[in-house]
Amino acid sequence: MTSLKNIWFNFKRYQFLMFQLISRDFKRKYKRSVLGVVWSLLYPILMMTVMAIVFSHMFKFKVDGTNYLVYLMTGIIMWSYFSEASNSAMASIVENFALITKVYIPKYIFPLAKCLFVGINFVLTLIPWFGLILLTQFGLGEFPASINIYYLLLPYIFICFLLFTIGVSLFLSCVSVFLRDVFYIYGIVLTIWNYFTPVFYSLDILPEGLKTIFKLNPLYQMINPVRSIVLYGQAPSVINLIVIGLIGVITLLIGSTIFKKNQDKFIYYI
Amino acid sequence: MINEDYMIIVDNVSMKFNLQIEKDFSIKQAFVNLFDPKIRKKNSKKEKDFWALKKLSFKVKRGQVVGLIGSNGAGKSTILKVVSGVMKPTKGQVIVNGVISPMIELGAGFDSELTARENIFLNGAILGYSRQFIEEKFDEIVEFSELKDFLEVPIKNFSSGMVAKLAFSIATVVNPEILIVDEILSVGDIKFQQKSKKKMLELIGGGTTVLYVSHSIESIRELCDEVIWIEHGELVEAGDPSIICESYFAAQTGLHTPEEALKIIKERKKEPERN
Repeated sequence: MTSLKNIWFNFKRYQFLMFQLISRDFKRKYKRSVLGVVWSLLYPILMMTVMAIVFSHMFKFKVDGTNYLVYLMTGIIMWSYFSEASNSAMASIVENFALITKVYIPKYIFPLAKCLFVGINFVLTLIPWFGLILLTQFGLGEFPASINIYYLLLPYIFICFLLFTIGVSLFLSCVSVFLRDVFYIYGIVLTIWNYFTPVFYSLDILPEGLKTIFKLNPLYQMINPVRSIVLYGQAPSVINLIVIGLIGVITLLIGSTIFKKNQDKFIYYI
Repeated sequence: MINEDYMIIVDNVSMKFNLQIEKDFSIKQAFVNLFDPKIRKKNSKKEKDFWALKKLSFKVKRGQVVGLIGSNGAGKSTILKVVSGVMKPTKGQVIVNGVISPMIELGAGFDSELTARENIFLNGAILGYSRQFIEEKFDEIVEFSELKDFLEVPIKNFSSGMVAKLAFSIATVVNPEILIVDEILSVGDIKFQQKSKKKMLELIGGGTTVLYVSHSIESIRELCDEVIWIEHGELVEAGDPSIICESYFAAQTGLHTPEEALKIIKERKKEPERN
């Protein structure tokens, strides 16, 4: 109980630092760009357009009974959140070594700030994403997407997704301190993971046996309920919702335990 | 609590570094080790251990200004890092009763891409200040740093002196209970040096406990109530600044070993009393 209190106290104390780190990332990201933060909105829109042209017009991808554009975009924004956040958080400890060796700061703050920073960008991409959903109501694509009461479940799903990403990031940022090879390995892992996650295809095209294996992918479990709400207007199954909650919490617990156990050794591996 | 009077208690602290770590672990090394037990033995951990601090103990009272002296690599900076919580001691423990403001290597928290204004907030946050506090003290920081005209300029365009001035101003704007200072009074031009010294004296006068590392014996003598002399991670002597500084000087100039130097200087100090 006291340790929980301690964590909370520490969190409060360094809240402002967290805010500063995130705002630093924003300033750096849009430094010397004419459009600035507008890029956070414009970038996903342009990406969507390109993806739409490539996948639905050139490759003629389709997922039966759904608006493929929305199907694809839902997958892409969630996948890119995960890959971008975990990738940048992975390097966050090593990048901030100069600080860590000089001032006492709780170290988890760096990967956490990265996950939140990319998270804010993710929330911004939800705007053009929702814009796309609105457009389907006026005849964009094959089928209109659904707008329904279950949208209220989305924040819950995204929070589970965030917890999962933070867990993975804590683990990666910790391991990469001891073994810098992880930077390269994870790049490859991400590419493979990308193809094994149904971002632009549907699991239905796979044979039964493979399907079960693919369903073990936590990212599939995260993306699937969002799609079922947005595309089919169906509430995700209760089991699915419990599963993603568990995935989020357990990953976070594992990640933070490993991080906590090793954080005092970081300083020797500069 | 018996320990209430002490702000910092360093109790039997030992600090081990493994030099092996520096020699990067690689597949090649692992492979060689696998087939040649001799080399493996040679590379085994035990022999590569380096003790930066050996059973070091000292206490610092509230409001005391304690100087740390010793040759390069004696363990001064290590002890500062252990006290400020950056490193955890391998053995022993450190108890700190108060809020620490570390001034080890100024400007470590600056981001060169950001402007001075943004860096004041960032660096302040790193030192654990709240937003309110920085906003309140913002003008004071700017005033002290003499950089009013450069607030909107990215730090990367600053000279090193300007950066140091800004960093000093941010670090000292708070009235910390414990101030940890590693060689910073030599920052900036002469005018600023004097100003920063005055600020230090002001803080000391205000009851701040200071742990001060410097190679400038003059400033140690001037500022400190007590001096701790460390060599090879071990305590040589702690106590009166003038005796220890003189002995240290004698040992440094190569005339004596630390022990001899201490003995001689102590003798010399006693003589006038006898006469």
